[in-house]
Order: sequence, then C-alpha cells, then structure tokens
Amino acid sequence: MGFKLRLPDREYLLIFIVSFIGVLIIFRLFFLQIIQHDYYQNLANSEQIKKLTIPAERGLIYALDKDQPTKLVMNETVYNMFADPKIVDDNDNIVEALKSIVKEKSQVNVSELLKMKNSRYQIIAKDLTRAEADQIKQKNFKGVGFQSVSKRVYPENSTAAHLLGFVDIDGNGRYGIEGALDEKLKGKDGLLQSVTDVRDVPLTIGNKNIKIPKKNGDNIVLSIDKNIQSRVEMAIENGLKRNGAKHIDALVMDPYSGFVKAMASSPRYHPAEYNKVKDAAIFNNPIIFKEYEPGSVMKTMTLALAIDRGFITPATTFLNTDSIKVDDRTISNSVKGHTGLVSMQDAYTYSMNTGMVEIMKILGNGEINLSSRKSLYNFLKELGFGKKTGIELDGENSGIITAPDVGNGDSVRYSNMSFGQGLDVTMIQFASAYCTVINGGNYYQPSLLAGIIDNNGDFIQNKPNLKKSNIVSQKTSQTIRDMAIFGRKTYIKAPDPANFDIGGKTGTSQVIKNGTYDKTETIGSYIGFGGNNEPRYVIMVVEYGDNQAIGGLADAVPVFNEISNWIISYLNLKPRG
Amino acid sequence: MSYQYTAQYMSRRNQNWSRNQNTTRFTSSVKLGPVSHTVLLAMMIATLGIIYLTQATKSTSYDYESQKIDAQISELKSKKIDLEIENARLTALEKIKDTTVAKQMNQPGTVNYVP
Repeated sequence: MGFKLRLPDREYLLIFIVSFIGVLIIFRLFFLQIIQHDYYQNLANSEQIKKLTIPAERGLIYALDKDQPTKLVMNETVYNMFADPKIVDDNDNIVEALKSIVKEKSQVNVSELLKMKNSRYQIIAKDLTRAEADQIKQKNFKGVGFQSVSKRVYPENSTAAHLLGFVDIDGNGRYGIEGALDEKLKGKDGLLQSVTDVRDVPLTIGNKNIKIPKKNGDNIVLSIDKNIQSRVEMAIENGLKRNGAKHIDALVMDPYSGFVKAMASSPRYHPAEYNKVKDAAIFNNPIIFKEYEPGSVMKTMTLALAIDRGFITPATTFLNTDSIKVDDRTISNSVKGHTGLVSMQDAYTYSMNTGMVEIMKILGNGEINLSSRKSLYNFLKELGFGKKTGIELDGENSGIITAPDVGNGDSVRYSNMSFGQGLDVTMIQFASAYCTVINGGNYYQPSLLAGIIDNNGDFIQNKPNLKKSNIVSQKTSQTIRDMAIFGRKTYIKAPDPANFDIGGKTGTSQVIKNGTYDKTETIGSYIGFGGNNEPRYVIMVVEYGDNQAIGGLADAVPVFNEISNWIISYLNLKPRG
Repeated sequence: MSYQYTAQYMSRRNQNWSRNQNTTRFTSSVKLGPVSHTVLLAMMIATLGIIYLTQATKSTSYDYESQKIDAQISELKSKKIDLEIENARLTALEKIKDTTVAKQMNQPGTVNYVP
C-alpha cells in the first residue's frame, strides 16, 4: 500500500514550495540589489554613462603686420583614415579612391596594409582635409573610418621657425614660444559626463551628468612684425649666398621697449615637418641658446662705462703702439697702423684692443686692479650679462662672466673682457644691453609678447617691462650714439641713405677649441641702430661656421646694411631737416 | 394653501423627494468587483507611467535635435576655419612674393620727401 498525501498536506507542501521559492527570490534580489548594489551600479554606469573629453583648442599665435595682428600659427582639423583589414572587402576601389582623391597623403603600401587580415587597425592615409574625407565617406567603404586630429598650420611656412618652436605628436609645445608658453597656449580640456544612447549621443536624462566647460588656450600676439621678419630672413639668405657662411643669425629690436621685431636664424626648419629633421640641434634658437665670445662689439659697453663714470670722453687720448702688455701676456690690435697719440673715438672707430685695456687701467687709477675689474663686472651685470634675460622662449642660456674676485678673474681676463673675449654672452643678452646703452640707460626685458587677443577679438597690448633705469645717463647714450655714427661713417663707409643717423660696431671674435683660441675660425658680428632723430631700431647680425673665418666688417655688415636700408623705408622714416 | 395632517410618519428626505418630482436617481447596473478595481488601478498607474515616459522621451528627442544643431555648428565652424586658413595661405608673404605682380616690382631709384 503506497503512501498518499491527504489534501491539506499537499496544500501545505505547495505553500511551502512557493514560499521557499519566494524567499529564495527575495534573498537573491537582496543579494543583487543591496549587497552587490555598487558592482551592478558601476556596471550599468559604465554601459550607459560616457565620459567625453571636450578638447580645448590650442591658442593661435599672431604676429604683427605693422600694428595689426595677423595669424602666424593656426589650428586645422585633419583626418587620419584607418581600415580594419578583417572587414574591408573592396580593396581595389579603396586604393583607387585614395589615388584619385588624396594622392601622396596615402601610405605607399596601402594594398599590402589592407591584406593584413590578422590586423584590426591600419592607418592608410594621413592628414586628409575635411573635403577629402567627405569625398571618401560618400563611397561608403566597409571597414573604413576616420579619426579627426587637430594640427598646427603655418601659413607663412618656415618663417620664424626658431622662435615659434613646434607642437609634438602628443600636443605638447616644444622649443621656442610653443615650449615656453605651452601651459598658456594649451588651455584646459573640459569634461562631459552623460548618459548616452548606443550611438554615444549624450542625453539629458539621469542625475549623474556633469559638464565642465573647456578653457581654450590664449591667443597670443607676438611683437614680431611679419614683414620685417620676412625681410630679415631674405637678407640672411642673401648673406649665406654671398660668403657661404654656415650660420647667420639676425635680430631686430625696438630699443625703447625691448620688443623683438624680428628674430631669424639660418639654417632653419619647417615647424610642420619637425619630424623630418635629422639633427635635433637645429631646434635650438641660436639667438638665445648659443653662448659665444662677442668680440669687439663689447667695446661699446666698456666705453659707455668709462664715459658714464666720468673717466674719459671721446677726445681722451692715449699712446697706441698696437700692442700692450698685461701681466705675462701681450695684447695686440687686430687693425694695425693707427699708432701714436690717438683718441678714444679712434680706438672705437678702428676697434683698438689696446684702447680698451687703457680704459681698464684708467678705471683702476693707472692699473688693472680689483676696483677696475669690479667696475666692469658690476656694469655688465647691470646690463643683464651672466643671467637669462627671461624672454618668453624655451631653451635660453645665461652666458658666463667670471667674477673679478675668483682665481681666473684676473687682469688678463678682464683686459680681454674689455674688448669682448674671455666672457660668453647670447645674442639676446647683447642686443638688450646695447639697447640700454643707446636709449638713455633703461634696461627693458626683451620680449616677444606684444599682447593677447581677448574673447571679444580685441588686441590687448602688453606694456614694455622696464627692469632698471639710469644705468647710464642720457648724455652718455647720446655720446655713444655719436661715436657709433662717426665710426660707421669713417671706417665702414656704408651706403646709408643721407640724413639718417645710423651707427654701429663690428666684432670679429676668436673661438676656443680644445682649450686654446683657434687660428682659423672666427665669429663675425655687427650691431647697430638706425633712425632719424632718435634710434628707431637695433639690428644685430652674427655669422659663424665650423672652420670658417668670418669677419664682422666683410660679412656681417652687408647683412645689417640690407636690413637697415629696407627698414628705413618700411617704417616711413623721414630724413632729418 | 393648507396642510393636511396624517398619522403616517414620513421622513424629511421622502418629503423632499416627493416635492421634487422631476429629480431622478441613477443607479448603475454594472457592479465592479475587487478584480476590476485592481485592473483599473493598474491601468491608471500604467497611464501615468506612459505620460512620464512620453515626457522623458520628449526631452530626449530635444537632445537629438540639440545634438544635430551642435553638429551643424561644429561643421560650419570647421568650414569657417578652413576658409580662414585658405585666406591666410593666399595672403602669406611667401605666396605674394612669387606672384607676377610682385616679381615685376622695382626698388624706387630716388625718394623725395614732402616737407
């Protein structure tokens, strides 16, 4: 006889089973919804909520066209075309479309790339314009996509390459103004956190949406005048053709503000093709990077010191024998023959080293002592030598001046320093100091930043940064200017337009190689100013090259002349009288 | 007018009823049980839900519209930038230097200044 449940027992069993299942479900729901709440919440969020970066636009770089800002560096959205070879099924037509639409922008071996079926991602063309990308999109190729990339564009090609620098593949500014002002130019990316649909379209539903707006980079305006810059670059190229120098650097500054109007070096590179450069040394801007012994252009500083402190006048005389003994060394003149009783003006005009050594003696009451050495040292420090100028460029060097109270800061060194050997400077340091000496004694920090373009599109101008005034008196400045004008007229006999005040000083300096001055290699330079009633511009030119003997007079002066004569008409300067 | 007294009691309500002869009282013949009530309640909740969903969907449809407009703005901006770049390229000194007009220009022989 089998066991048979009575009716009430079956009901109880059913109730028990249902209740048990119910309890199980409740426990399971409790486990899923309460215990594992965070896990599933995160899982859901990761599916539904997308964090999208709103990329900040890198600030534009403007130059000046006379007084008006004009775009020098811009941003362009370009497209990289990629393919998933596993999905692509129309290889021949893709290759044909690339040939006819994008030509050289496509990879050389597109057919092979498309055949790599074990790969899921191959870039088959780069830097397509929007129009080109649209044309290809219309063909609806399977397995082909586009990725937008922001890229720097240089409408003036390689103009001002050294001062601009470039933006690398990660979007970081390198070298030049791009490197120095990277944070300002970069801006700050924004964030959009939002529930999205399957196509990643952000929706306003949900309570976890966040929007942090992007902050675009500053649009900066350089003090560079693009017309002057272009003309300076042309003059440099002409100079290279004339004498075959390996390097020419040129700088144009406004002596009354410290703003740089042009800064050019050759050889130069194209910032848009920085990745094709073989020697990275070319990225360094020689005008702020290269430390060199300036040579006779330094005589301007030595004279300014002695005249300003009342030790000499241009008419002060000394006996020139074309050589002078300092301790165990004999210092000679480069230009010989102007012997006898000569004036300081003659010493400047004919670039006599002996005259500068005489000045060092005068500063020390008849001998080169600690007092005279300290006078020169302090003066050079006041003029900004031996430290970075702070110009808005990446990679500036500080130069070297040996202090007068250390072992090798002796009389021989300071004699050499008085005519530009035995100390290292950069061009930007020297030009800024020269501006100070001829502008009435005001040291302006050299600057490339004329201002910014604000959100309304207005040009907000920066004021000149006056660091120190009265380093020399107005009278000293006038005297130095007169000496430089006289020296240029007498010695250089340059083809300057009549009734303009144009003055300057040559420099031909020796180069130290393996611890001694090389006999075959020299650096040629020229620094000067031009204007009608007062200096309106300062131009500095430096030429050099391995194993090249470059002269200030023969090589640098013609480049100066070419720039100076052009600037006079460009600035619409009228002759005196 | 006079009132007649009767021995039979009549409530005030009935008296009123009698007085307002034309008043009708509707009594539904459909009787709703608990199931019907539950269904109705569920339907009301469902209606409210649909209204909510409609509103939510409506706001989402605005999102799509706004997305479309954003895309248009972005495309127009991109076209504007393309034109600006083209303009900058065409007016670049490098380009101008190579034009026929620029090549035919000469330096002035003499310059006279107006006093």
